[in-house]
Amino acid sequence: MSVPFSQMWTVASYVVTQRLRGRRRYPLVLQLEPLFRCNLACAGCGKIQYPAQILRKHLAVEQCLAAVEECGAPMVAIPGGEPLMYPEIGRLVRELVARKRYVYLCTNAILLKEKLQEDVFVPSKFLSFSVHMDGVREDHDEAVCRDGVFDQAVEGIREAVRRGFRVTTNSTLFDGADPLRMRRFFDEMMALGVEGMMVSPGYSYSKAPDQEHFLRRQRAHELFSQMLSSPKRQWRFNQSPLFLQFLMGKQDFECTPWGIPTYNMFGWQRPCYLLQEGYAKTFAELMETTKWDHYGRRSGNDKCRDCMVHCGYEPSAVNHTFTSWRGLRDAAVATLTGRL
Amino acid sequence: MPKEAALEGFTPQIGTEVTLEQLVERAFDYRGNVTVIRRDGSSVEGYLFNRNRDVADPFVEMFDKDGHGPLTILYGDIRTIRFTGKDTAAGNSYAAWLRAKEAAKKASVPPAADA
Repeated sequence: MSVPFSQMWTVASYVVTQRLRGRRRYPLVLQLEPLFRCNLACAGCGKIQYPAQILRKHLAVEQCLAAVEECGAPMVAIPGGEPLMYPEIGRLVRELVARKRYVYLCTNAILLKEKLQEDVFVPSKFLSFSVHMDGVREDHDEAVCRDGVFDQAVEGIREAVRRGFRVTTNSTLFDGADPLRMRRFFDEMMALGVEGMMVSPGYSYSKAPDQEHFLRRQRAHELFSQMLSSPKRQWRFNQSPLFLQFLMGKQDFECTPWGIPTYNMFGWQRPCYLLQEGYAKTFAELMETTKWDHYGRRSGNDKCRDCMVHCGYEPSAVNHTFTSWRGLRDAAVATLTGRL
Repeated sequence: MPKEAALEGFTPQIGTEVTLEQLVERAFDYRGNVTVIRRDGSSVEGYLFNRNRDVADPFVEMFDKDGHGPLTILYGDIRTIRFTGKDTAAGNSYAAWLRAKEAAKKASVPPAADA
C-alpha cells in the first residue's frame, strides 16, 4: 500500500485521539468544492448540472480556509467542478499545505501540465494530484465523453511526476467495466510512476445523464473480486486495504456518511458527498442536526441500498483499522503480503 | 403535479394542484432557475438550493439569477413557485455523445464490397 508513513501516522493518531475524546462522529477528509464549473461533462457525473450564475460563482479562499478549520479533518480533498479552473487554486493549496493538511487535488488533468509549467504549485508531501482516470484510453475517453482526454491526463501525470509531485489516480467504475482491461490499466498507471491508485464504484446520481450503468452491490463484488484478486506486486493503492476488501465482498461495513463531509457555496451538504438533501450553515449544525439514522444500508433508505462509494465506506474501513485489533491485523496482513 | 422532466415551464396553483411543502421540495430538487412569488406580489428569480422545514420558521434559500445571495425567504411569505428556467439536468449530452460515437464507428467501417 502506498500511503506515506507520515500521512498514515497523522491519520492514525487523529482517529485514536477522537476516540479517546469520546467523539462518536468525526470527519476524516473534508471534500471542499470551491466551484462547480468543469471543462468536461462526464456521463456519470451529477455534480455540474446548475444554472449559469451558479457555475460562474466560486468560494473565496477565506471561505475555504474557514471551512477547513471548522471541520478539523486532517485531509482535504478538492474536487469540484474542475479545481484547476478555480482562479485561486495555487493560493488555496499553499495555505492548506502551510496548515499541514494532506491535500488531494482531484483533477481531470486537462490543465495540469499548463499549471505546472506556470509554477502554480510547489511539490510537498502534503500535496497529491489525484488524477481522474476511469480506465484504458478507450474506456476513459468514453467515460468522460471526449476523445483525447486520456492522453492529456497522461501528459499531465508525466509532467507532475517529473517535477517531483505526489500523483495518484482515482477511477470510478460502472457496469460494463472489464476486469482484464482494468488490470492492464493498473499496469499502465504504475508504469507512469504514480504513487498509488484509488478505485470506487460509481454512485447513481439522480442528476447524472447516464442512468443505466451504475453497479449494483453483487455485481460490484464480482467485478472488484475479478479485478483485484491476485494483485500484482507492483500495484499500489492509495486507500485502505480493508476498503478494497469491502469492495470485493470480503469485509462488511456500514456507511459512515459524516466521515467525508462536503462544503461548497451552498454550505455543508447533508448527509454526504453524493446525496444533496439540504445544507447546514455550520459544520456543527451539520453534525448535530442531520438525521444520520436515515442513511446507510441498514436504514433501509433506497438511495443508500447499493451504494459502496469510498466517501461513505472508506472512513468505515479506516476507523475499523485503527479501533479494533482484528481491523489492525487484517490491514497489516494485507499491507505486508500485498494480498487482498 | 408533473414528473420532474416536465417541470420546466410549470406554473402551479398552491392549494388546487399542489401543497406549498410539495412545491418547495420539487423546486429544491430542480436543477434550473425558479421564480418565487411572494404574497406581497414581489418575486425573485434564481436557483433555490436549500430549504429547511425542521425549524420554527421554515425557509428556502436562493441565489438570484445574477448569483447574488444567499437570500432567505420564509415559507409563510411564498404564494407560489414557477419553474421558469431551463432544467440543466434534463440535457442529453450523454445521449448526444453516444450518437456521435456510433456515427463515427459506422463511418470508419469500410462499406462491404458488392457481390
